[in-house]
Amino acid sequence: MSSGYYAACAGMMTRTASLDTIANNLANVSTPGFRASHNSFSAALASTDDEPLSALNQDANEYGYLSGTRLDTTQGALVPTGNELDLAIDGAGYFEVQTGAGPVYTRGGNFRVSPQGQMITAAGDPVLGDSGGPITIVGEPVSISADGTISVNGAIAGKLKTAEFPPATQLESLGNSYYKAPVGAAIAATNTKVRQGQLESSNVNPVTSVVELITAQHEVESMRRTLSMFSDEMDKTATQDLPRVS
Amino acid sequence: MFRALYTAASGMTAQQMNLDNIANNLANSGTTGFQQRQVNFTDLLYQNQIMPGAASTQQTTVTSGLQVGLGTRPSETEIIQTQGDFATTGNPLDLAIQGTGFFQILMPNGQIGYSRDGSFSTNAEGQVVTAEGNPLQPAITIPADALSVTVGSDGTVSVTQPGQTAATQVGTIQTALFVNPGGLNAVGNNIYLATTASGQPVVGTPGGSEGLGSIQQGMLAQSNVSVVNQFVAMILAQRSYESNSRVVKAADEMLQQLNQLAQ
Repeated sequence: MSSGYYAACAGMMTRTASLDTIANNLANVSTPGFRASHNSFSAALASTDDEPLSALNQDANEYGYLSGTRLDTTQGALVPTGNELDLAIDGAGYFEVQTGAGPVYTRGGNFRVSPQGQMITAAGDPVLGDSGGPITIVGEPVSISADGTISVNGAIAGKLKTAEFPPATQLESLGNSYYKAPVGAAIAATNTKVRQGQLESSNVNPVTSVVELITAQHEVESMRRTLSMFSDEMDKTATQDLPRVS
Repeated sequence: MFRALYTAASGMTAQQMNLDNIANNLANSGTTGFQQRQVNFTDLLYQNQIMPGAASTQQTTVTSGLQVGLGTRPSETEIIQTQGDFATTGNPLDLAIQGTGFFQILMPNGQIGYSRDGSFSTNAEGQVVTAEGNPLQPAITIPADALSVTVGSDGTVSVTQPGQTAATQVGTIQTALFVNPGGLNAVGNNIYLATTASGQPVVGTPGGSEGLGSIQQGMLAQSNVSVVNQFVAMILAQRSYESNSRVVKAADEMLQQLNQLAQ
């Protein structure tokens, strides 16, 4: 049977799977600090021998399989909220957060103060200062400068630890707007400014997402047609019509 | 495929809750001392089909993992602590806190409630009470023959009485501060209760060293709801609800395509 048949089948499975990532992006358009994921596809190796492929086989193979998702690191819009512990990052960096599973990174800056006075994330994990420990905030008013220095009632209470990553670093999405980085990948932030009283909105572009959605939908349809073509026209011709010729 | 359906459903549910909250903010835009809330969302778990940084050969790693997210959930309703506008009423028992702090209110069940609604009046016994009749703590009684009531910025309440030249001090209002006011439990009627998340109240003199805001007499703190912002948020909620329902439709049509294969 034609290898294109399996390629079209793989293409169809790939497009249905790609919808999951698009759906997750659209579901998270309101999540502060959320980074969109994009699907990346790879062409499958069509044939291992030197057999030439028909044009239909070749096209079907180009549809490939879902090989990965990559994070979109473009800046989201900064939306003012007025809360003094809502922090947004303007630039490439991330806040560092201490969790039970080691340090994680986030751009979701909707922070709080715990009853013990520690600065915590919405999920309740302490936000780290540049000394490597949690930051204690007791009192009012809290003012945070662009480099992350926190002053409470005029006295310096600490400095936020922000980290940047070299371009090719693979961050793993953990949920709760947390990302995990490979050990030792974080470098000191140089291109990062902290903005107080603002939150970074999700960087999902609804227009691109809906276009991706429609594209995936139409590609499923065309793969379905390709499959029908292989089964109805080619295979039927080979198995039913050809024997009748003799 | 079916993940996409549930993922989109989580997005639609989240936007419904967002709209519920916007409706509550708009409904309370005229409520004295009301502080608007904002629903914050967070992403759910990810299914790792290929771990980021996994080995593709002994020497190399994959350039990007394959992670499929499973949607969103509302993580918290954040109380926006900005100061509302002050409206001058001229009523001597209308009090506004300029800055942080809450009035302490003795609830009928003996608990202390905390409120930024400073529209007080006196009951039959002359005690200063809220609109629901719950007394302000520490209790302050205004004598029946008082000609005028003066509340100082530090909470000192004094009255002038007939035949007396000097004002008589009848009590002092103390306000409370929380380490994490966002963790207070709102129970309606503009009352908040302390929780383990908010921490224990720090009670002190308004305008004093604890950082409590001073008291302004004859004024009321209006709600801090920004109607324009809420309308913008409403439009965003509506559009993202639509785009999530578009995903449900797309998933449904893909399933139809699959079913047509079998025909």
